[in-house]
Amino acid sequence: MADAVAATGSQKLPRWRRDLWVHVVLMLGAVLMISPFVLEVVTSVKTFAQATHTPPSLVPHPFHWGNYKDVFESLPFGRQLLNTVVMTLARTLGQVLLCSAAGFAFARLQFRGRGLLFGLFLSVLMVPSQLFLLPNYEIMQHLGLLNSISALWLPGIFSAFGTFLMRQFFLQLPRELEEAARIDGANPLQVYWWVMLPLATPALMALAILTAIWSWNDLLWPLIINTDPSKMPVSAGLAALQGGAPHQLSRPDGWLAPSQPADDRAVRDLPAPCPRGHRVHRSQGLATALTP
Amino acid sequence: MTVTEQHQDHPGTGSRTSLRPEPPSRSGLRRQDAMWATVLIAPTAIGLLVFSIWPTLLTFYYSFTSWGAFGGHTWAGLENYTQLLHDSELLQSLVNTAILSLITLLSVPLGIVVAALLHRPDFRLTRFYRTVYFLPAVTLPASIALMWRLVYNGDFGPLNWTLSLVGIDGPSWLADSHTAIYALGVVSIWGSIGYNMVLFLAGMQAIPRDYYEAAELDGAGSISQFFQITVPLLTPTTFFVTVITVINALQAFDLVFLMIGKTNPALEKSQTVVYLFYEKGFVESQGGYAAAIAFVLLAVILVFTAVQFRMQRRWVHYG
Amino acid sequence: MAALCVGLAAAGCSGSDTGSNGGAAAKAESGAVTISYAIWEKPQLATMQKIAAKFHAENPKITVDIQLTPWEQYWTKLQTSLKGGSGADVFWMNIPNLKKYANGGVLMPIDAYVDRDKVDLGNYVPAVMDAYKFKDHVYALPKDVDAIALWYNKELFKQAGVDYPTADWTWDDLTAAAQKLTDPAKGVYGIAAPAEDQANYDNTILQAGGQILSADGKKSGLDSPEAIRGLQFWVDLINKYHASPSLQQMTDTDSEQMFTSGKVAMYYGGSWTVLDMKAIPEAKRFADVAPMPHDAQHYSVSNGLGMVINSKTKHPDAAWQWVKYLGGKAAAQMQAETGTVIPAYKGMADAWVKSSPEFNLQVFVDQLKYAQPLPSSIDTPAWRDPAAAELAKAWTGSASVEDAARKAAQIMNDALAKEGS
Repeated sequence: MADAVAATGSQKLPRWRRDLWVHVVLMLGAVLMISPFVLEVVTSVKTFAQATHTPPSLVPHPFHWGNYKDVFESLPFGRQLLNTVVMTLARTLGQVLLCSAAGFAFARLQFRGRGLLFGLFLSVLMVPSQLFLLPNYEIMQHLGLLNSISALWLPGIFSAFGTFLMRQFFLQLPRELEEAARIDGANPLQVYWWVMLPLATPALMALAILTAIWSWNDLLWPLIINTDPSKMPVSAGLAALQGGAPHQLSRPDGWLAPSQPADDRAVRDLPAPCPRGHRVHRSQGLATALTP
Repeated sequence: MTVTEQHQDHPGTGSRTSLRPEPPSRSGLRRQDAMWATVLIAPTAIGLLVFSIWPTLLTFYYSFTSWGAFGGHTWAGLENYTQLLHDSELLQSLVNTAILSLITLLSVPLGIVVAALLHRPDFRLTRFYRTVYFLPAVTLPASIALMWRLVYNGDFGPLNWTLSLVGIDGPSWLADSHTAIYALGVVSIWGSIGYNMVLFLAGMQAIPRDYYEAAELDGAGSISQFFQITVPLLTPTTFFVTVITVINALQAFDLVFLMIGKTNPALEKSQTVVYLFYEKGFVESQGGYAAAIAFVLLAVILVFTAVQFRMQRRWVHYG
Repeated sequence: MAALCVGLAAAGCSGSDTGSNGGAAAKAESGAVTISYAIWEKPQLATMQKIAAKFHAENPKITVDIQLTPWEQYWTKLQTSLKGGSGADVFWMNIPNLKKYANGGVLMPIDAYVDRDKVDLGNYVPAVMDAYKFKDHVYALPKDVDAIALWYNKELFKQAGVDYPTADWTWDDLTAAAQKLTDPAKGVYGIAAPAEDQANYDNTILQAGGQILSADGKKSGLDSPEAIRGLQFWVDLINKYHASPSLQQMTDTDSEQMFTSGKVAMYYGGSWTVLDMKAIPEAKRFADVAPMPHDAQHYSVSNGLGMVINSKTKHPDAAWQWVKYLGGKAAAQMQAETGTVIPAYKGMADAWVKSSPEFNLQVFVDQLKYAQPLPSSIDTPAWRDPAAAELAKAWTGSASVEDAARKAAQIMNDALAKEGS
C-alpha cells in the first residue's frame, strides 16, 4: 500500500543526499538544544574557581567529583523513586483513560449543552495552578489524605488539558469509520473503545508522555501535601538537596543535582514518526462482530 | 484542487459534501448520545468540579475578603480590586507576562518545522533528534534554571565569552532589567519546542499517507507538500498547541521563581503575574489581594482564549 | 538598645540538663510517638541528626523525624500546612517571622512548661531570648545566634601591599583599602557591596546612628539622614569608587562565591558562612575574619533561630521534651563543637571558636557585644522584601539614595499602619 514512495525514490538522488540539508538544519538545532546540558555537566565536575575561569575550559583539571558525593546522602532515595513511579503511573493511566473518554464524547457525540460544558472545561485550563494549592490542600485534609501516596496522584488524574488534547485529535479523524460502526448498530461506548481508541494511539502516547513528564517535574504540590520524606517523590526529595542558605541562591558545592530522570525511555517511546498506513478495512463491519 | 477543499465540512454546518447514507432515526441516536456522553464525561467532570472549579469559586469569593496570615478573613468588598487599579507593579507584571508569551509563541512554528522534518519517510537518526529536542521537557525546572544561569552569567558565562571574541561586552543577562525578560523568553522557547514537537508528531500521524503519495505522483516537492498538505490538515493540532502555549506562558512562574529570585534588581521588569500572585499570597500573606490578582489574570486568559476560539473558524479545518 | 553579652564562662546550668528524661511527659503520653521537626539549613542536617539520635537514646519512646525543606519553599510550606491545621510539631523560626506567627495563634506558648521544668531562660543570650517573647508569652527556646564580620583574602592583601584590617578600622579605612585592592586588569575588586539587609546595610545604618525601625515599632527610620548615610556607604563603593562589582554581577554570582574564588578581596559575611569556608580548600588557605569597620558606632544586627511548637500539635508534651533537649546544654555543645553555629546557650561560644582554629572566629563572638536583633514588627514579611527591592534601585543607579530611601520608608510605614489597624 505505502510502497509507492520507494518506487519514486529510485529515479532521484540517493536518500542521504536528498536529506542532507535536513540533517544540517536539525544538527544545528540539536547543538543549540544540548549545549546548556553540556555546560552543566562540565561545570559539575569543576570546583567553583575552575568554573569561573575564563575562557571556559571544556575539560577541567583536575576533575572534581565532590559535587556528586552528597547527592544520595540523607534521602530515602529508593523509596522516593518508587513513589515517583506510583504517582506517575497512576496519573498517566488515569488521564489517558478519563481524558480520552471525555474528549471522544466532546468531539463526536451530539448533546445539549455540549458547548457550554466544554467551555467550562476550558476555563479550568485558564486558572493558574498555584491558585488551587490552598483549597486543594484543605480538600485533601477533609478527605483525610494528607501525607499519603494517594494525595500525590488523586487530583492529577483529572485534566482539562488532556480532554482538550484528545478532543482536538478525535476531531481530526475522518468520520467514515465510526459512522459505519454506528450504522451497524454499535453504541457510542463500543465505538469509543473498539474503533476510536486504537486509532488514537499517537495522541494517547503523546498525552501519556506529557503527563508522565509533568508528574516527574511536579514539585510544589508533593512538597506541600506530604511532609514525610518517605511519602515524597524524588522531585520533592531532591529539592531539599538544592536548598541553600537564605543568603544564597546557589553555593559552590551542591551546584548540581542530578537533573534527568535516569532513563530516556519516555523519549524512545514517542510515537514513531513513520506513519502506519491509513487502513480503513480493519474496522469495517467490526461493530457487527461485537454486537451480540 | 487542494486538500483544503476536501476538508471543508465543519461540525455543525451540516453541509455534507460526500454522499453518505443517512443513519436511521437521528433523534433516537441523539438521546442515546446524550446518555453515553454523560457516562464518558462524568468522571472527569466531577474531578474537575471538586479539585478545580470549586476551588476557583472559593478563591473568587476570597478576592472580596481580607485575610489573616493563617486563615480567618473579613469581608472587604471591592477593596482589593480598587487597590489593583493603582498597583504599578501589577501593570508591569502584566506587560512582562505579555512579552514572555509573545516570545514563547515562536516555539509553535519551530515545533511544526522540527516535527515536519522528522516526519519524513525512512529518515535516519530520528530517534537521536527526538531525544535531543525533547530533553528540556524531561529536565527538572531547578536544573534548567541552574544551567541557564551558567549560560547567562555576566562575568564568566560562555555567552558573554563568545560575544567578547567579537568585541561585545555583554550584560549580566538575568540581572539587567533591560534583558532579563528576553533571556527568560529564550529559555521558555527552548523548553517548549520539544513539547510542541511531540504534539505535532502525534497530529501528523493522523494525516493519511495517501495524500502525500498522491502529491508525490503529481510531482510536488517536500516543501510544497508541507504547505499544501501538512499545514492545512494539521490545523486542529496547531490550534490546540497555540492555545495551550499561550495559556502556559501566561501562567509562567517557575522561570521567574528559580532564575530571577526575589533579591534580583531586574525582578520588577521580569516578574510574571503568577509570580506576583505567589509573592503576595504566600510571602506577604495578602491572600485576598492575591486572589484578586489571580482573577485579573484569569480575565486576561479568558479574553485571549475566546479570541482564539473565535478566530479558529477562519483557519482551522476539522475532518 | 539591647546589647548582648555572652558570658564566656559556662553559665550554671539549672534543670534544662540532659539527664532528665521527662518522667511526667512519658506518663502523660502512653506508647511511642514520633515528633516531626522542620528545618531549612542543609549544612546543619548532619548535626541535627546526631542530636536527634542522642535524644532518642535517652527518650526511647520519642522518635524525631527531621524534615528538611529548602529555604525557598520553607515558609510557603509552613504557612500552608499551618493554615490547614497540620504542619510539623516542632519547627525552626527566625526573628523577623516570630511576631507574625505568634500573633496568628499558630505557635504554642511554652511558659507553663518552662515554669514546670524550671528552665532558666537566663541561660540564653538575652537579645535572642527577648526576641522570642511576644505579648507576655515565651514562644521558643533559642537555638543559635549569628554575627556579621569582615572576611578578607590574605593573599590579595599581600599582593596589593595593604595591611590587614584591624579592629580600629573606620569606614574610610575600608573604602581606601578597597580602592587599593581593586585591579581591573585581573578582574579583582576590593570588596563586595551587595544590597543585603542583614549582612550589609542594616549594620551600616545602625553604625551611622540611624534606625531601621523606631523603638516602638511604628515607624520606619530608613529615610533619616543617618540611615541614608549608611546606605550611601555601599552605593558609593560601587558607583563612585568602582571598588565593588555591580549589583547585577553579584546577582549572577553571589558575594560569597566571588570571595571564595578570589574575585573580591573583602566581603561582609555571617557566622553561618564558616562551614562553607571550611569546605573550600582554597578559601581555607587565604581567608580570615576581622571585625566590621565602624562609623559613629560599632553596632550591628544579629539574627537567631528559635525552636517553636505548633499550637495544634497532637503531642505537646513530647514536642516540649524535644525542644527542651534542643535548647539544652548537650545539644548546644554538639552544635558548637562541629562549628555549625554559635549556640544561643551562654558559655558555648568558646567551643565554637575552637572548632575552626584556621579562622579568627573570636571576632564574631566579640561582635555580639554590639549586636541587636534584626528589626521586626507584627508582620515583617509584608515590608521586608518590598522595601529591599526599592532600596536596590539606588545600587543599580536607577534612583538616588535619598529617593530610594524615602520610597522604602513609605512602603514600610504603609505596612506598619496596616498592622496597627
